[in-house]
Amino acid sequence: MSLILDYSLDNETYRHSLNGQPVVMHSHHYLALITKLAQDLGDIGGAQILRDVVEESMWAIFDDYVQKNDLTAPLDRCNVGREYYSVFGLGKMVVTANESGGEVRLIRSHIDEGWVMKWGPNHKPVNLFTCGYIAAIFAVAFKKPVKSYTVTEATSMACGDAEGKFIVKLS
Amino acid sequence: MTVMRDTVVKALAKCTVQGDENGLIPEYDVLVNLLPVSLLNKFSERILAVAPADKKDLVENGLVRAAYECGYHTGCGIITSDIFNDVVLPMVTEGEKDILRGAYAAFTAWGWAKAGIVQLKEAEKMVIRANDYYEADSVGEGMRAYMFRGLCQAFFDLTYADPYPDGMDTYVCQQTKGIEVGDQYGEFVVTKK
Repeated sequence: MSLILDYSLDNETYRHSLNGQPVVMHSHHYLALITKLAQDLGDIGGAQILRDVVEESMWAIFDDYVQKNDLTAPLDRCNVGREYYSVFGLGKMVVTANESGGEVRLIRSHIDEGWVMKWGPNHKPVNLFTCGYIAAIFAVAFKKPVKSYTVTEATSMACGDAEGKFIVKLS
Repeated sequence: MTVMRDTVVKALAKCTVQGDENGLIPEYDVLVNLLPVSLLNKFSERILAVAPADKKDLVENGLVRAAYECGYHTGCGIITSDIFNDVVLPMVTEGEKDILRGAYAAFTAWGWAKAGIVQLKEAEKMVIRANDYYEADSVGEGMRAYMFRGLCQAFFDLTYADPYPDGMDTYVCQQTKGIEVGDQYGEFVVTKK
């Protein structure tokens, strides 16, 4: 792993940070239920809100990292998001990217595997979180603002597929 | 001896979780994630901001439920973990009460909230005071420590309800004060449902 990781602890509040960003531990139960809540609130845009919030939050973190570390090559910038995914405990991804889009394969997935552990297989893909996450990876890699890429979940471990596959297109 | 909170907090705060070769964090019998606080707060803020009045309760209950189930299952993994056995159990002299004190020390050490028990009537009622919790950073209206409520409820269920996994939904937690609404501290009351 090439990502530089700086874990710190505030001795007064005991809040934890990673590379200056406050972070907190939860489990697959939490993300599974947050995902389900977002899906169930589809009539008020819940699913899109979750994707957007993840994209905006991750964009800020990746952009901060590439700025501080002077990363200019798209593949180096892309690698930041890919490696952070594993640091956050979200799984393992393989990214194929160019400015017009690409493909992401999920080899392991906290959200999909957590969903199946909790409720069993689902009839449709569930990984809204990773859709937003991948949109942020591509936007930072190619120096674009949020909402520049559209991400579609084509195959899903939560539905019984061997891997997750996400198709990315420049909007 | 009873559970010495500061000692436990300092010992547990040193623990860090890290992804394995698959980018997963299997700990405490669950898959753990380590996410930015700003992301979690922003999701709650946005979803509540767009929810119509007749759906606010549904959304709030959903947010509490997510934390509750997380806390119930993960909490069981925590209080039966090696680190809890090593650090907390040697100090336990008052049974469940001490287990609960140890659990709140873990609660603080792992950054959910700087909080402790201020009143406890065993198996009936508990009052928790929090001087810092990440949901206090959120923007919005009213008291909104949904994660905190869910975890308090879970910890009390684990301690005083039927043994895991049969004790779910025995107790309920209400927030009575909040830093996010201008109070000096957050206050949470757990009672029988």
